[in-house]
Amino acid sequence: MPSLDDYKGKTPAWCPGCGNFSILKVFKEAMVELGLEPHQFLIVSGIGQAGKFPHYLKCHTFNGLHGRSLPVATGFRLANNKMPVIVVSGDGDCYGEGGNHLLHGIRRNLNIKYFVHDNQIYGLTKGQGSPTTMEGMPTKNLPFGVISNPLNPLAFAIALNCTFVARGFAGDQEQLRFIIKEAMNHNGFALVDILQPCVSFNKVNTYEWYKERVYHLDNTYDCRNRVLAFEKALEWGDRIPTGILFRCSRPVFEEKIPFISQTPLKDQPFEIEKVNKTLKEFFV
Amino acid sequence: MQGNTAIAESAIQAGCRFYAGYPITPQNEIPEYLSWRMPQVKGVFIQAESEIAAVNMVYGASACGVRAMTSSSSPGISLMQEGISFLATAELPSVIVNVQRGGPGLGNISASQADYFQAVKGGGHGDYKCIVYAPYSVQEMWDITQLAFDTADRYRTPVIILADAILGQMTEPLLKNKSKPLNQVKDWSFGRKRKSGDKPVVIKTLHTKEGELEALNYKLFQKYETIKSKETLFEQYLVDDAQLVAVSFGISARISKSAVNILRKQNYKVGLIRPITLFPFPSEIIHETASLGKRLISIELNMGQMFEDIQISSQGKTEVYFYGRPGGGVFTPSEIADVLKRYL
Ligand SMILES: Cc1ncc(C[n+]2csc(CCOP(=O)(O)OP(=O)(O)O)c2C)c(N)n1
Ligand code: SF4
Ligand SMILES: [Mg+2]
Repeated sequence: MPSLDDYKGKTPAWCPGCGNFSILKVFKEAMVELGLEPHQFLIVSGIGQAGKFPHYLKCHTFNGLHGRSLPVATGFRLANNKMPVIVVSGDGDCYGEGGNHLLHGIRRNLNIKYFVHDNQIYGLTKGQGSPTTMEGMPTKNLPFGVISNPLNPLAFAIALNCTFVARGFAGDQEQLRFIIKEAMNHNGFALVDILQPCVSFNKVNTYEWYKERVYHLDNTYDCRNRVLAFEKALEWGDRIPTGILFRCSRPVFEEKIPFISQTPLKDQPFEIEKVNKTLKEFFV
Repeated sequence: MQGNTAIAESAIQAGCRFYAGYPITPQNEIPEYLSWRMPQVKGVFIQAESEIAAVNMVYGASACGVRAMTSSSSPGISLMQEGISFLATAELPSVIVNVQRGGPGLGNISASQADYFQAVKGGGHGDYKCIVYAPYSVQEMWDITQLAFDTADRYRTPVIILADAILGQMTEPLLKNKSKPLNQVKDWSFGRKRKSGDKPVVIKTLHTKEGELEALNYKLFQKYETIKSKETLFEQYLVDDAQLVAVSFGISARISKSAVNILRKQNYKVGLIRPITLFPFPSEIIHETASLGKRLISIELNMGQMFEDIQISSQGKTEVYFYGRPGGGVFTPSEIADVLKRYL
């Protein structure tokens, strides 16, 4: 059985009080509770404060390009579908630079767990507006306020029939741990948007701001009802629902490639005779 | 076989089992062929949402130790440059095929060699090189694809096959040279089996510690020096007694060779040097030839890109001329023969 110590990585260089600390803590706890060891899964991350996440852990790490984690994870899963793959990135990385990949990642429904540290700001580059920054909020490069409507990632994902859609909050560790474990156990693409206060550059969406607004979806909520889920996803402002908003089951992309279900691509033998046999059938 | 198909089947024979790509003319036959051929050999074909996604999917698959390839044509290759820079730094083997078309911009779909600088000088950001092969026949499309996967693995580096619209589209007879089976799982990759407590694999390209990035760059350049000394390939054709030597690669070399043959029949002393690797560039043979006083003429389907490397290599030892046509037009053997005659 793994222990929290097995996951000890470098000391994080995040600002004191950053929401990323509790996500890191909860993530480790969830992995330990799931009985996963550091060599048993991969974290692909992009670039940003969230992108540094795997460096502050100990596990297989692929720190790729800004915005391109999902294609890397896709290539990886298709080559090695026996290893669970987690993607960690920021709101800028995932919804901005990587937005197109997210759209197609959801469509494909690969078995990838996508945890987005959504601080509604570009943290690493010191405070520019991100796709989820609220309209009107002054930022470094829009000093008179953001003039575009923010993206609603959950409504977007539900509209695309994403098979697992959830919202967590860095200030609610117990619920976040539950969501992470549920996502890990889900068979298919999971998008978890985690509200993560950035204490240095987002002075609007603070811990207090979130705490006054977030509430748990209760036991009576039916997360299999897509229309209801869409309605819930639209709720943002005075009240912000957290928990699993939507789940459904659709065939997983990897399962549509039958031969890798037994032996992953990386372990497939190279059989030159067979290769030539089928070639002859085609050309003779 | 058609040139594009030759690359595709040769990749299969070389053990390539992962292909990601995005449609663009004139290379569509590569993904089309692989889309049905990959499943037959238990390989994965995926149509990516963009060239940016394609090169990053190759990045992920290659990290698992699987032989992986992508292909595109000029505008799509421009989109891949950021990814190629990362592949070079992370030292991940991969094969990238550019069936060049006319540019700049969307240009047109006829043959061009205008991506020479982009392929040979790095292309993306940072100080790095890719091995660049320039096939000039369907046979070489086959042979070089085999070679490309081997050198990519041996040096853990991205390799570019720089073809063009004519080579991709033309059909010629082909000898299916033997390939050797290979052991796919590489020790450094995520593909190797690991047990509890083993050191995890980390792939990253950010190096912020004092001196770390500099050391990595030196290491890369040491590797490039080895590649220069071991992997340089070129062909010499009737150079010994020649007074004027055409230097030409890819489809231009094919046309130039015919021009040399035309002129030889008329007893003109002309020859051809054909670089097969563009990086490493065959500087030594160019320098030797220049030192013998033979005059050189660069013939390319661009406005003088390899020309600069020939000038650097000949170091003023001889006169170097240039004849080329920019993207969109192709010369004929008699046109080149006339040009060569002018300089004799
Ligand atoms: C191609 C490219 N463009 C821009 C950058 C600079 N950059 C680094 S991180 C980042 C955005 C970070 O924002 P987010 O993804 O929200 O992560 P956070 O730092 O807030 O966790 C940007 C623009 C880059 N590394 N690469
Ligand atoms: S800048 Fe913001 S997101 Fe980055 S470490 Fe500091 S508080 Fe966290
Ligand atoms: Mg952010």
